[in-house]
Amino acid sequence: MFKTALIIQEDLILLRILERLMRTHGYSCRSIRTLAELNIEDQERVYDLIISDILFEGIAPLDFVFQIGEIIMHKSLIVVTNMGQEKVRQQISKSRNVAGFFSIPFDLDDIQKLIA
Amino acid sequence: MEISFLFVVLKVLLGVLILLWIIIGYSLVYRKHRTRHREKIESSFADITSKYLYTLPGEEVNLIEIQRTFRGLGIKRSNPKNVQYLIDLMIRTQRSLMGRNYKQLETLFKQIPPFRASLSKLNSTEWYIKARGIREIYEMGQKQHINALISERNNNNTYVRREAQIAMVVFLGWESLRFLPFLKMEMTLWQQIKVVEKLHDLYPEPDLPLLRKAYESDRFYASELVMRIIRKFRLESEVDYILNFLDHPDHDRREVAIYCIQSFSLINGQQQVFKKKFFRIPNTQQQVNLLKYFHTNSFQIDLEFYKKLLNSGNEILKLSTAEILWDSGYIKIVEEFYYGQYNSETIEENVL
Repeated sequence: MFKTALIIQEDLILLRILERLMRTHGYSCRSIRTLAELNIEDQERVYDLIISDILFEGIAPLDFVFQIGEIIMHKSLIVVTNMGQEKVRQQISKSRNVAGFFSIPFDLDDIQKLIA
Repeated sequence: MEISFLFVVLKVLLGVLILLWIIIGYSLVYRKHRTRHREKIESSFADITSKYLYTLPGEEVNLIEIQRTFRGLGIKRSNPKNVQYLIDLMIRTQRSLMGRNYKQLETLFKQIPPFRASLSKLNSTEWYIKARGIREIYEMGQKQHINALISERNNNNTYVRREAQIAMVVFLGWESLRFLPFLKMEMTLWQQIKVVEKLHDLYPEPDLPLLRKAYESDRFYASELVMRIIRKFRLESEVDYILNFLDHPDHDRREVAIYCIQSFSLINGQQQVFKKKFFRIPNTQQQVNLLKYFHTNSFQIDLEFYKKLLNSGNEILKLSTAEILWDSGYIKIVEEFYYGQYNSETIEENVL
């Protein structure tokens, strides 16, 4: 039985790398670059893991992460972004819903430890 | 006569209009095509790198095939735009990763085209192409080209020089302190910050003997750079070096010393040196800043020092001292000082 992961990442190269990382760890992946690609099925299933970027969809970065957490059912949430200012990092790591926060440059091995 | 002349004008204008339309149309088509082509390059680059980093069981990375793919996408020497785009993608990817994967990417990028594209930029006469070439070389960790970069570290152009110096730091780490402080040209603030950041990112383990060698340089940017390094790496043992510059005759060097010392707390002997140097600083604003730092950084109120300050010449300094004493509960001393300013005669006059 595959575990399922949803990857939301604007940077195509990072998206593909993360996708591969998850696949080598026995996840089946759905990867998207914008929220517009989400569909009704995504809302019906429960993902084991969401790896989300912080996208600028007209709301504050922190709200974006929380909204993702609310819209899509999941067991654990990791944030991987290139918008990793210190302020955002502090705010996000305060919240208990987020299992990990990575801003570029980051070590993929650290993510690997989280998902293994 | 007049009507035919108008017709000619009209025709010319129409011609211009149609020409404009054609140009706009061409540019639209070209842009669309170009964007699509870029997306194609990005997508296959993403596929190749991700496959290289995390190979699924049963898959194989074939370098010759990768080269063939890139050639098929038009990444050739005759097409510099595509080559540049690929290089930008490589740098972007490498900047986002650290650790084991960074090294792996380095190995990959050595083996795929564009070969020597960055190195050939160094021969350009334009500074921005040269600087870009240097940046590409160090961002992608192509250490084999370091000799070509060393000669650029004293280039007349600030930007070329800056990139070459950063490249030195990236490749040589603390070793680069052997000559960074002894360069001929000055080093701007931005350059110093970049150098310190790179050093901290790539070589987090400080090498004190090499740092201390740099103390010998008497160039102003060198001492500033060293002070910033001490601050960034929180080298408690080297605080004395910063202390030395607190009463330096040069305003800017004092400014940097004051900025850097604020990251440290002083131990007993250093406090004595600090107090001695404090009175030799010729700028009041700097003294006030230092006083605030000294107060927040010491556990006990050094009454003797503050009393000495209350009786020193400068009014602004007196005010700050009084403020500190008042806030720390020594209201009586401040009051005494305040009334002491007026001798008994003037008070009587005022009362009467």
